[in-house]
Amino acid sequence: MRSFRLVVPWAVSAVLLAACGGGDPDVPGSGAPAGAPTDKGTFTAIVSFGDSLSDVGTYAPATSLAGNGTPPFFGGKFTTNETSNGVPDANPLGKVWVEDVAADLGILVTPAEVGFGGTSVKCPAAANPAIASTCTGYGQGGSRVTDPNGIGHAGGALTVPVVTQIANHLARFGSFKASDLIFVYAGSNDVFTQFGTFAAAAAQIQAQAANGTISADEANRQLFAAQNTALAGMKQAAQELATDIRTQILANGGKYVAVMTLSDIADTPFGNSLPADARGVLTALSQNFNVWLRDGLAGQPVQIIDTFALFKDAYQNPAKFGFVNNTTPACDVAKIQAITGGQVTDGSSLFCNATPGAPYNGLTAGADVNTWQFADSVHPTTGGHKVIAAAFEAQLQAFGWI
Amino acid sequence: MHSMTLPGVAATALACLAPCALAQSQGANVVKLGITEYTTHAKTNGISGVGIPPGADVDVSNATTVIFVYERLFTPNVGLEFVIGVPPKLKATATGSAAFLGEVLTVKNVSPTLLLNYHFFSPTDALRPYVGAGINYTRFTSVHSSLAPDVQLGYSTGLAIQAGVNYAITKDVGLFASIAKLDVKSKVVATGATVLTTTVDFRPIVYSAGVSYQF
Repeated sequence: MRSFRLVVPWAVSAVLLAACGGGDPDVPGSGAPAGAPTDKGTFTAIVSFGDSLSDVGTYAPATSLAGNGTPPFFGGKFTTNETSNGVPDANPLGKVWVEDVAADLGILVTPAEVGFGGTSVKCPAAANPAIASTCTGYGQGGSRVTDPNGIGHAGGALTVPVVTQIANHLARFGSFKASDLIFVYAGSNDVFTQFGTFAAAAAQIQAQAANGTISADEANRQLFAAQNTALAGMKQAAQELATDIRTQILANGGKYVAVMTLSDIADTPFGNSLPADARGVLTALSQNFNVWLRDGLAGQPVQIIDTFALFKDAYQNPAKFGFVNNTTPACDVAKIQAITGGQVTDGSSLFCNATPGAPYNGLTAGADVNTWQFADSVHPTTGGHKVIAAAFEAQLQAFGWI
Repeated sequence: MHSMTLPGVAATALACLAPCALAQSQGANVVKLGITEYTTHAKTNGISGVGIPPGADVDVSNATTVIFVYERLFTPNVGLEFVIGVPPKLKATATGSAAFLGEVLTVKNVSPTLLLNYHFFSPTDALRPYVGAGINYTRFTSVHSSLAPDVQLGYSTGLAIQAGVNYAITKDVGLFASIAKLDVKSKVVATGATVLTTTVDFRPIVYSAGVSYQF
C-alpha cells in the first residue's frame, strides 16, 4: 500500500465538525442530542447492549476447564480473565467496564445469554430468584449492529446483533424503565467487517497496479471507491442503530440512555500492525459511523459518550491513565494456543487467564493486567476496562445521572 | 469613481421614473449582447470530512457564455446596469493529494449583477470609458458530482466592480468591452456515504465584449 498516494482520511476535520454542537442543518452529523434527563437516576438495572467490549461472559462455556461447557471456566470475557466458577460476579477481578460501572453503582449485571457452538441458555440468572432480573448484559463478542452473521459466528459464536439484543430485552421485560441505566455501544464489528472487505479489495487493486495492469491513478481511484463502499456500510449501520434506539428504546420507555461513539481502532496493537494508509481507513470507518450516529440521534433525548475522544486521550497520554504499555498485548499467543490444544491461534483474550500461578495462565511474561492497556490485539485488560469505566462514570456524572 | 450606496441608486432610479429629459435626448436605454469569459481563481479552505486525503483540494474551470446587458442612463454619465448571462457550466477538478479523482463536480451558476456605472466624457464622444460598482448574486443549479449524490452549494451575494469602454459606430450602434471582478463565495456540503464540506471562493474575473444598441 505504501507505494500509492494515500487514500487516507484524517481525524481532525470530522472531530471538529462533530464538536460544533450547535448544528448546521445543511451538514449531517453536526447536530447534538437534546432532552435527555438532567436529574439523578434511581437505578436498579444496568441494561447494556453491544459487542465484546461489553460482553460480561457470553462465551464462558467455550473456556470450560473440563472441556465440556461446564464450570469452572478459565476465560469467558474479552479481557484478562480470572478463573470463574460460573457464579455471577463471584470474583472481583477480570471485569469488563459494564461490570465495573455496575459494581460502583451497587448493581449486579449478568449475561443475557450464555453459550457457544449452537448451545446456549438465555438468562442463566433466572435460575436464582434473588438475581433473576439481572440478566441485562446483552453484549456479545462479534456482534454487529443488525447483521446476525457477526465475527466468529461461523466458528460457533452467538453474535446476536444489537437490534435483536434490544428486541430480546423487550421480549423478556416488556419495556424499558426509568430505573434502567441503558448503554448502547456497538459498531466496532461493523468496522472490522467493512475493513476486511476493503483490505481484500485493496490487495487485489494493488496487485494489479504492481504488475502494471492498471495505472497508479486508476489504482487510487479504485481504492477510493472501495473505501467509499466501506464508509457507506458504516453509514448504514449507524443509521440502523440510531433508528433502533429511537423506535425501540426511547419509544419503549428508555429514559437514561447513553450511546457510545466508536473509538479509533487504529489506536490498538491491531491498528499498529497495519500500514499507515490502511490505519487511516480504519480511523475513517469509525469516524463515519460516528457522524451518522450523531446525525440519527440529533435532537433525541439521549446522551452521547464520545469514546473517540476519550480513548484517543488515553492512547496518546498513557501515563495520565496509569498505563506503562499500550502496544503489547498482555496475553501470550503461544500460551493460549497451547492451553486451547492448538485451537485458538490468534491470542484471543476470551481464552486468556490471568490468575497468578494457574497452569492455564495465558499472560505474557512480565505483563501486568492493570498497567498494560491491551489484553489482545484489540481488547482492553482488566486495567484498560477500569479506565474506560472511570471515563464513562465521569461522563454520567457530568450528565447529572449519578 | 463614484461611491454610491444602493439606496442612492434607488433614489436616482425613482427620481428618473418621471422622464429625464436630458438622458432621453441622448438615448436613455442601452442593450448589449456579448460573449463573456468567466475566469475563476478559486481558493478553498480545504476539504473537510471523513474519507478525503489530507491536502485534497479542488480547482474550478473557466467558462464561456453569452451575456445580455440592459443599462438605463439617468444622466449622460450615470446609468444603472443589469447583467445576466446564460448560466455557464463550471467544472471542479480535484487537485493536490486527490488529483487522481479528476473531475468531481459540475455546476451551473446563475449570476445576475446590478451595477451603477459612471461614463466618462460626453455622449458625443465615440470612445467612452466607464467604471461601475454594484452587487452580484450567484446561485448554483444543475449540480452533478461523482463524489456524492447530494451536493448543496450555498448562494452568494457579493460586491462587483467593473471597468469598460464603449465605442460608438453610429449614433445607436456600438461595441463594448469590459472587465469585471466579482465576489462569489459558496459553502459546499456534499452528502453521500460521508459528509464533505468546503467553502469555495471563486474569485472570478469576467472579460466581456460585444455589441450595444442605444435607444
